[in-house]
Amino acid sequence: MSAVTSPAVRLEGVRRIYHPGGADEVRALDGVDLSIGPGDYLSVEGPSGSGKTTLLNLLGLLDVPSEGRVVWRGTPVERFSERERTRLRRTGIGFIFQRFYLLPTLTALENVELPLQARGLPGPERRHRARALLAQVGLAERERSFPHQLSGGEEQRVAIARALANGPQLLLADEPTGELDSIRAQQVLDLLEAAQRSSGAAVVVVTHNPAVATRARRHLTMRDGRIVTDSAGR
Amino acid sequence: MNAIRWSLRWRSLKHRSAQTFLAVAAIGAAVALPVVLLSVGGGVYAHELSSIEQAGFSLSVGSTGAHGLSGVHVLANRIDGLGGVAAASPILSIAVDLSTPGGTVVPVLAEGIIPAAFAATQGAAERALLPSSISLGDPSDTAHYSNGSYTGPSSAQVLLSTPLLQTLNVGSGGHVRLSPSSNATAGVQFTVEGAFGLPPGFLGPSPLFVALLPLSQLQSLVGLAHLPSGGLLDSADSIQVAMVPSQAADPVAVQRVAAAIQVLVPYYSVVSLTEQTAELQSAQAVITGFYVGLSSVGLIVGLLFLVIILLRRVEQERQSIGIRRAIGVPAWLVAQGIVAEALALTFAGLLVGLTAGVATVEFLARYGSGGVADIAGLATFDPVTLGLLGAGLVGLALVASVLPIRRALTLSLPEVLR
Ligand SMILES: Nc1ncnc2c1ncn2[C@@H]1O[C@H](COP(=O)(O)OP(=O)(O)OP(=O)(O)O)[C@@H](O)[C@H]1O
Ligand SMILES: [Mg+2]
Repeated sequence: MSAVTSPAVRLEGVRRIYHPGGADEVRALDGVDLSIGPGDYLSVEGPSGSGKTTLLNLLGLLDVPSEGRVVWRGTPVERFSERERTRLRRTGIGFIFQRFYLLPTLTALENVELPLQARGLPGPERRHRARALLAQVGLAERERSFPHQLSGGEEQRVAIARALANGPQLLLADEPTGELDSIRAQQVLDLLEAAQRSSGAAVVVVTHNPAVATRARRHLTMRDGRIVTDSAGR
Repeated sequence: MNAIRWSLRWRSLKHRSAQTFLAVAAIGAAVALPVVLLSVGGGVYAHELSSIEQAGFSLSVGSTGAHGLSGVHVLANRIDGLGGVAAASPILSIAVDLSTPGGTVVPVLAEGIIPAAFAATQGAAERALLPSSISLGDPSDTAHYSNGSYTGPSSAQVLLSTPLLQTLNVGSGGHVRLSPSSNATAGVQFTVEGAFGLPPGFLGPSPLFVALLPLSQLQSLVGLAHLPSGGLLDSADSIQVAMVPSQAADPVAVQRVAAAIQVLVPYYSVVSLTEQTAELQSAQAVITGFYVGLSSVGLIVGLLFLVIILLRRVEQERQSIGIRRAIGVPAWLVAQGIVAEALALTFAGLLVGLTAGVATVEFLARYGSGGVADIAGLATFDPVTLGLLGAGLVGLALVASVLPIRRALTLSLPEVLR
């Protein structure tokens, strides 16, 4: 179960059923097996409602499966307490949400500082590191801006800086280029890939954009809560 | 898009400020009530206690019988002779009619006293209002009393309260007639020897028109010197007993004298002021308990308000909370944020409530009518009581945070971040 040989995260027969047994039962994931190793770079495509975000939530330990297992670096996630899962999200996982989800009352800098603060980094060090991250995504000048004062692309880059803050081993990006023109989209992908190269993190990018998908080394397609194609083969 | 976000932001801010205002006002109102009740109640209590403690006497001999005490000249003498006693002052209070040469007739409260003993049993505050020496012609009231025969020469001197003197417009050396109520023919003429001031009366009406005269002369005037059968009555309402200064503060000495008096007159009651103080204290404890009960109703309403507002905030902030949780902000840090909010609202409410409570008391003391202003004027803002109130409120704020924290920590992340 050493970090090098075992996969970063593995799903085994995972189902995620919303409102089970109810009239509004939804099988958002319906039997997914997936293994992601360190340094993997995956794209996930699929129609709206096919379960892509649900898949990321499970990979990112935001959610637990209704059936099956999520195994994080060799340990089944259900063995972790809520507190340990929170710690893993803080230290091991970077999440770039479909809708950015910056905190509206915090500045760009403070948003990036948040995960560093959660890790207990002292103020000056935190700010120094957050500034470096903002500079890395080309937003050094906007550190004092609030999210509503930023363009969609800028918000997205702040969200990326925040996701990279604690050097995650797993980077999950839900439509990170959705609102961007193709040049900006390429820049965002460059950022993710740079982060991946420097830290050896695994990256999973959900996208509708074929140009984005082609940059990944492994391609998944989902439909109705199942992985229907996986370029790695299974 | 930014314009829309701006207006949303502004709207939510305005919304929140209304909530903040309501929460602070509710907690403020909940705090102001106990501040007023406890400070005024405490002030009145302290005043009553100090008037007891500053009394010039330590024991009071009384009777529940219709005629009060009898044989008081002799009894007072015997009490005076007990070790440790400085003075024994019998007092007979009874309403009589006072008429001036001009024909004005007013009812007054006549206090029959033994002048020297009376002065010796007064507290410092009352003594300051009396003339430096009260003689009324015969300091020991023995000449007229004349061993119970009431045939000795009468000095017929009287001291009148300042308001009475001003109303009647008579000066020292002038003459007035005192007569039993509704029996003007039995009147006796007195010479006004001087005036005395009245202590400020709190908590209830106090007589303004008071006359001090020798006990034996009041007894003869109102028929309490002898029984209708001719037997000696020599009646008074009570005898106040002052201890010598070195023993006044010694409860054992006071109790010893009380026991000695009780041996002399087993059929009368002998009450020490210490006992009165104890009674007052237990009464005060009951009243304070009542105030606290009443106030906690207000505080609980304030607490519920706080819970509701914190729950609303969690509801409004559910996405922000979800984002924090998703990026790994520990639960305790989220909880800390809610507690901080609860404490901020509570402290603001506490400040508002204290200010409002103090302002209310000050306002009543200044502009309240009569007795209200007097009572409010007595209020004391005891830092210990107010500190306890603040501490209790902080405790309530922590309790109020529990439910909102649970709510915040059990938010389903996939739901909140859809
Ligand atoms: N919290 C929830 N409660 C009930 N149903 C849900 C919930 N979250 C997702 N679903 C449903 O689960 C299915 C999968 O949703 P999911 O968000 O994973 O799709 P997606 O592939 O990310 O879609 P999109 O491309 O539109 O983002 C959908 O039918 C969705 O309506
Ligand atoms: Mg989605």
